[in-house]
Amino acid sequence: MKYDIRYKPSFATLFLTLQPGEQIFAEAGAMASMSGKLSMDTAFFGGLIPGLLKSFLGGESLFLNEFSNKTQNPQEIVLTQSSVGDITQIQLNGREICLQPGAYIAHTKGTKVQLQWAGFASWFAGEGLFKLKLSGNGMVFFGAYGGLSTVDVQDSFVVDNGHLVAYEPSIKMNVGLSGGMVGSLTSGEGFINRLEGRGKVYLQSRSVDGLVRFLRPKLR
Amino acid sequence: MKLELLHQPDSAIAKVHMDPQEELQAEAGAMVAMSSDINVSTTLRKGKGGGVLGGLKRMVAGESLFISVFRSGNSAAELYIAPKLMGDILPYTLSGTELVIQSTSYLASTPGVQVDLGFTGFKSFLSGESVFWLTANGSGLVILNAFGSIYEIDVDGDYVVDTGHIVAFERTLDYDITKVNKSWAGAFFSGEGFVCQFRGRGKVFCQTHNPGAFGRKIGGKLPPR
Repeated sequence: MKYDIRYKPSFATLFLTLQPGEQIFAEAGAMASMSGKLSMDTAFFGGLIPGLLKSFLGGESLFLNEFSNKTQNPQEIVLTQSSVGDITQIQLNGREICLQPGAYIAHTKGTKVQLQWAGFASWFAGEGLFKLKLSGNGMVFFGAYGGLSTVDVQDSFVVDNGHLVAYEPSIKMNVGLSGGMVGSLTSGEGFINRLEGRGKVYLQSRSVDGLVRFLRPKLR
Repeated sequence: MKLELLHQPDSAIAKVHMDPQEELQAEAGAMVAMSSDINVSTTLRKGKGGGVLGGLKRMVAGESLFISVFRSGNSAAELYIAPKLMGDILPYTLSGTELVIQSTSYLASTPGVQVDLGFTGFKSFLSGESVFWLTANGSGLVILNAFGSIYEIDVDGDYVVDTGHIVAFERTLDYDITKVNKSWAGAFFSGEGFVCQFRGRGKVFCQTHNPGAFGRKIGGKLPPR
């Protein structure tokens, strides 16, 4: 499989070439355009029951589309995300990655997709009760609203919840208020996330919540 | 007339250098700045779906009822026009050919180009959004805008584009609005509601981002009006 992420960083878009017999799994709605010779199938995300639970409690799309090349020639497909910003990829090779809601775009064969209990703290912070964990040997594509930065957490680290995109599961999340109830409300920092452990964290330079907070008082 | 594109691709703006007594029509509200001796008039878009009734229909679809006509005086003038959303601008030269434009992607055109609301497209009952098509024919320049960057596909055979990602396409192509899944349930759940299936030869211009999807992502978090 050949891939190319073009128009980085603000309008990053994934251009893929599927060889005969290859397939790519993508989030519902991620397909911008493709060769008319590719076949598409829709499946539940991680099985029916977790899929439904996720839809009710996690707030993300229930379904996953599988695009496969059943022809004898290479075929192209273009995948993108709903927000403007950067896209990156990781080759798992046995590693694992957890994605925050909205970050997931696509994965290749050999990747295991699981929904895991994220806890009530996560739910209070508006991040849903479940989190998406990807493992195996495939490749994962995910995106951000704004630019992407990576941080190697050594011991502990604090991030604003709305800016967290992905993290390795070796990192433990503790969602809480930044400085007591009053401090949190007045500082505008809201929920922060105290990360503990060692591993890589992906951050986005803008947050959708920030945009919503900016727009909300302007609506009349 | 000379066209200069600045700040591509994320914040593209078109700087139009006009000779004396030249004309350009543009989407109402697209003007950013201009020489003070440019004369501006406003008209209703003509053609099927034009006029007052068609205008009302477009307003329902969130489209502008009016187009602005800019005419330079006895000296050369400058006109800056820009779309509302972040993204790129693409100039397309028509020479007796026909171009179908997704109505929100139209920015401006020169007088030799007739822009009509050829047909009202369809309303997707899945996303609740309307897609309106404009047809441009004649000869001259059409200026298109997009949400995100614009990529060009030279179709030869079969090609599928999500309706939210279409900027414009050449009329030499045959097309069908269809669902990508064979089953209705699949079409409903796949999130890929309706797609445009192209056949034949010609160019399709696609935008990397779907304005409707971004709007729903942000709009879903805003309180109802």
